[in-house]
Amino acid sequence: MRPENLLLLPHRSEKCTVGCPVLDRCLNGGVPCHSITEFVGESGSGKTQLCLQLALSAQLPSSHGGLSASSIFIHTEFPFPFRRLRQLSGAFRTSHPDLPDPCDRVFVRAVHSADELLHLIPTIETFLVYSRSRWRPVRIVVIDSIAALFRSDFENTGSDLRRRSSLFFGISGGLRRLAKRFGLAVVVTNQVVDFIGDGNVRVGNLSDGLYSSGRRVCPALGLAWAHCVNSRVFLSRDENGPVRRRRMSVVFAPHLPHSSSQFLIKGEGVFGVEDIQSEPDKTV
Amino acid sequence: MEVGMLPISASKRGKLLAAGYTTLDAIARASASHLARDIEVSDSEALEILNLAAKTGVSDRPNGTSTTVVGGGQTAWDMLNDEKFSSYITTSCVDLDNILGGGIKCKDVTEIGGVPGIGKTQIGIQLAVNVQIPQGYGGLGGKAIYIDTEGSFMVERVLQIAEACIEDMAEYSNHFHKDLQPCEVKMHPNNILENIFYFRVCSYTEQIALINYLDKFIMENKDVKIIIVDSVTFHFRQDFEDMALRTRLLSEMALKLMKLAKKFCLAVVMLNQVTTKFIEGSFQLTLALGDSWSHSCTNRIILFWNGNERHAFIDKSPSLKSASAPYSVTSRGIRNSTSSCKRIKMM
Repeated sequence: MRPENLLLLPHRSEKCTVGCPVLDRCLNGGVPCHSITEFVGESGSGKTQLCLQLALSAQLPSSHGGLSASSIFIHTEFPFPFRRLRQLSGAFRTSHPDLPDPCDRVFVRAVHSADELLHLIPTIETFLVYSRSRWRPVRIVVIDSIAALFRSDFENTGSDLRRRSSLFFGISGGLRRLAKRFGLAVVVTNQVVDFIGDGNVRVGNLSDGLYSSGRRVCPALGLAWAHCVNSRVFLSRDENGPVRRRRMSVVFAPHLPHSSSQFLIKGEGVFGVEDIQSEPDKTV
Repeated sequence: MEVGMLPISASKRGKLLAAGYTTLDAIARASASHLARDIEVSDSEALEILNLAAKTGVSDRPNGTSTTVVGGGQTAWDMLNDEKFSSYITTSCVDLDNILGGGIKCKDVTEIGGVPGIGKTQIGIQLAVNVQIPQGYGGLGGKAIYIDTEGSFMVERVLQIAEACIEDMAEYSNHFHKDLQPCEVKMHPNNILENIFYFRVCSYTEQIALINYLDKFIMENKDVKIIIVDSVTFHFRQDFEDMALRTRLLSEMALKLMKLAKKFCLAVVMLNQVTTKFIEGSFQLTLALGDSWSHSCTNRIILFWNGNERHAFIDKSPSLKSASAPYSVTSRGIRNSTSSCKRIKMM
């Protein structure tokens, strides 16, 4: 066993653009490789949109912040938004006409249960090795969403909860191993549940709790899963007032201070909006 | 009487016996300065006696094993004296250092746990940088081993913290030692990166194998003063049907780390995750890996949110009283909490 020489590792860990410079700035360059990033938010907050856009922008060359890489998109909610992917890739092609059809570089797979996902990891590994020699290597793995796999099959009993958390760590351990071996950026999405009472433990930076659509929420799957991701990004929406406001906030990340950015979802994709009055950062 | 075999003057022999040094082992275990103080001779004379005792001891026992078997013995008095010289690694947060009696202590195993995002990895990286502060600046000038099981170690963050640390040292030298200017030029963020031995482990078998190998590694790479395991927990929360096996593996690992800490006089810091535990009808937060694991470390620090502030609480320690202190995670690394700075200013 040899230690890795930190001087030989890139001084700024590799990132993959999410397809918008404003959001990239909020994430300090994009989604980090060798690591698991979680997007958490209520339904309709833009998680899937962001993941689809990421799967496309990963194909950009590194001069544009991408990885020149293909992506694997594992979906657990049905149906897979093919039409939206088509629409986004149309916009992608007009802005980058020199690249081949981006849909050819997104590999889609459905998964129906947590056990199936766990057993799929070796298959993904084989596929990753194969993809290195055949096409552009796969560097992005998206799982949309992880919460859907766990929300029905498990009772609220001791043994089921234990089985559930052992699956969490199994899946996360497998994904982290792949992320390390192939330099993957792994992105998972998670749902939210309503915040009930004081029983919930505060996790992360947002001191006033997480609010979406005027309700206080907290990420699904609890504390054990929170240990299974490296970074957590919260997507919220707020429909009070004339316009729908969406916001992306960093809850915790080893390399990021607390930061946030507003964003919009349009036909051509997800776009960050510069805050008109820049808010002073409260706590880091 | 073993002392009688030593080729030294009768008066010295008498003094040795009067001071309680009746066996060669007792002499061999003493340091030259202790011996000189106890029998009122000069340091060089004491050193000579030590050398003679060592030589006689070896020739007396050609197999040479029994010395090593009983070599670990030490009186509480010696230990107290050692304690005075024990070294600490600063956390860069003065409040936290204060409740820890100066920082993370060498020779000890310290466990630090808390919820995700509280700053466990940040403290780990800060310690890996701070252990390298040269002795001229009150540090140890050592190297660090960083065992990463979760993949949260980010080089860009290490660079940020290292740069801030070097800036602080430059400021310190400007304040106190106007003559130390050349010393600061020697430190460069790249040197700091170079002196962190980074291991990324992807399974619990790798983790155990690596810890078994560390003894050899530290022999080859001198000056390692801290081992950071971030986190000790992650791989042990998957794949274990047999909890008794898990407990055995964990306590064996902890024992190995404790041995390394004593043998090489280095600090071991294990970062742990938290879990909820059902106690008396309500869920309470506790560190992961169960009750028997909680015996495996010397000190235990729990990190928690108190309102808007991060706090560290000494949950278990044989020598420190339980206390808590606020800290904050800034772009420059771990620092004093801003609100406590205000309090000091107001007073």
